[in-house]
Amino acid sequence: MDGVLSYIQFILAPQMLTGLALGVAVVLVALGLTIIFGLLDVINMAHGEFYAVGAYLAVALGLAGINFWVLLLLVPLIMAPIGYALERGLIQRVFNTGEDRHVTTLLLTFGLAMVIEELILIVFGVATMRPATPIPGAIQVFGMFLPNYRLFLIAFGLLVVAGVAIAVYRTRFGSMVRAAAFDRDMAASLGVPVSQVYALTFALGVALAGLAGVLLAPIYSVFPTMGRDFVFIAFTVVIVGGMGSIVGAVVAGLLLTQVQAISSLFISPVWSQPIVFGIMVLVLVLRPQGLFGRLGHA
Amino acid sequence: MLDRLSLSMRASHILVALLVVIALVFALVAWSTGDRFYLRLATEALIFAGLALSVDTLLGYTGLLPLGQALFFGFGAYVSALVLREAPSFWTAIGVVFLSTLVVGLTGGVIASRARGVYFALISFGLAQVVSKVVFNIRELGASDGLRGIPVLDIEFGLFSISTNAPLAFFLFTLAFILLLYALAAYLLDTPFGRVLIALKANEKRVPFLGYSVFGARLAAYILAAEIAALSGALYPMLRGFVSPELMFFAVSGNAIIGVILGGVGTLAGALYGSILLTLMRSIVGTWTEHHLIVIGLVFIIVVIFLPRGLLGFVRPRLEAVLSRRQKP
Repeated sequence: MDGVLSYIQFILAPQMLTGLALGVAVVLVALGLTIIFGLLDVINMAHGEFYAVGAYLAVALGLAGINFWVLLLLVPLIMAPIGYALERGLIQRVFNTGEDRHVTTLLLTFGLAMVIEELILIVFGVATMRPATPIPGAIQVFGMFLPNYRLFLIAFGLLVVAGVAIAVYRTRFGSMVRAAAFDRDMAASLGVPVSQVYALTFALGVALAGLAGVLLAPIYSVFPTMGRDFVFIAFTVVIVGGMGSIVGAVVAGLLLTQVQAISSLFISPVWSQPIVFGIMVLVLVLRPQGLFGRLGHA
Repeated sequence: MLDRLSLSMRASHILVALLVVIALVFALVAWSTGDRFYLRLATEALIFAGLALSVDTLLGYTGLLPLGQALFFGFGAYVSALVLREAPSFWTAIGVVFLSTLVVGLTGGVIASRARGVYFALISFGLAQVVSKVVFNIRELGASDGLRGIPVLDIEFGLFSISTNAPLAFFLFTLAFILLLYALAAYLLDTPFGRVLIALKANEKRVPFLGYSVFGARLAAYILAAEIAALSGALYPMLRGFVSPELMFFAVSGNAIIGVILGGVGTLAGALYGSILLTLMRSIVGTWTEHHLIVIGLVFIIVVIFLPRGLLGFVRPRLEAVLSRRQKP
């Protein structure tokens, strides 16, 4: 009995907490991805790179002496106009080419991802960086050490998710987004400025990815391919949760990272990725629409 | 009298013939200057062009985007490497790759062919991720190092044999091999089976009313594409003497897709042109700057926006016009 308790206290619970912090981070990235897919029907292959840009901005501006708390607001504010401009300048151009929109936008953002990743390499080089933790130290609960910053990350992340959910489900802009996602033409004829809503939603998604970059930079190091590694997990979350579903992204994000965290206690951690991707394939085969419905459709 | 689709296919044949002429001129120049490096590079470009051809049979004819086609390319390369280490015979290796890909392609096809549009792309991507991570972790398959020490082969033809170590001979052999794959794909896609695939791409809901099975046609196309990718991949260890899990990674699938888009979706010849052009661009831009991906990314974005039908989508209609004018009188 004692053994079981101390196993939970010293191995299982800390592992789950670390998984939870990662889960909240994944949810933040997946949230932008899923909103962009739900509304624009765009699989944003460059999403991981936006996350990386956010992290690099945090490092660079942090070195310039700007406070972390300011960055939490500043970086998303820098990222949003970039997202807006990219949607208007690039993505909207291929919307009406007559080809399959999924495929063309996927290809376009794939090219964009290549360019952004190389730009990061040119500006910042290959070196791995890691900013100082803004909230150092840890508190002790039931003999477990809980790093303060991870606790903050979990709380703050959940707050952001709640904020996005309120924005989508309880504001005028949100109802325009959902209307445009449900039926673009009908929304347009009712006076919703659809292409404006598209661009703003894309900007919101990009800002969320940038915010996730700022939040995660102190925990996971900052390196040029960080976006590529991270976005695969975010994609899996979006697929399992249901493309375009906010609830789905949260549930699947927390669930999959717990699977990853707990499974790596029993088998070598190198196998946790194949397991997570295996779950994704299984969900795609059995329930391709994911666990929850689409944005604007329920 | 040819219909429009057969006419397009004929135009593709002419463009491929032109590519062969270019390849032979290149081989002649390389041979007369005693070059090894560029011949090996060109051979590799041809092998990856085979993968692009496989992507185009799916993307161009069924409209399904295979985000993880490198899975079959890598599978072919690994099976070929494993066989060659035990029994260094080209024909055994190709035979085993062909048969095992039939089984694996059928399995993957049954999983993936039920999905449509973006879900197909994601399943394809997911399957490749799972398998490449598994291979990456299995020590018996060399884990992250891959398999090394694949012996130099003599490909026996009865009357003569070709050594994989002879750059010129192996280049010409690979050229013939990829041409054979092209001919196979072009023939099959010009039969009524190919027409069903094109019909599926145009309007999937109507195809069953005409009496054709959507699932069956899609499954057959998937297996065909898997075979083309795997057979191309089977040549890789013969050229380089090793295989590594990177061959299955997303970067390889992505490159093949870039090649197809660059050359022109749904033209088959475009896949070969685009993929070879991409390798050329990579090595030329690579000599100016190590950040060659930025140039390729920008070119790719420009092509997707302004030239969605690719280079051959621009060239081929003009060639078709010439061909149909010659046919009328």
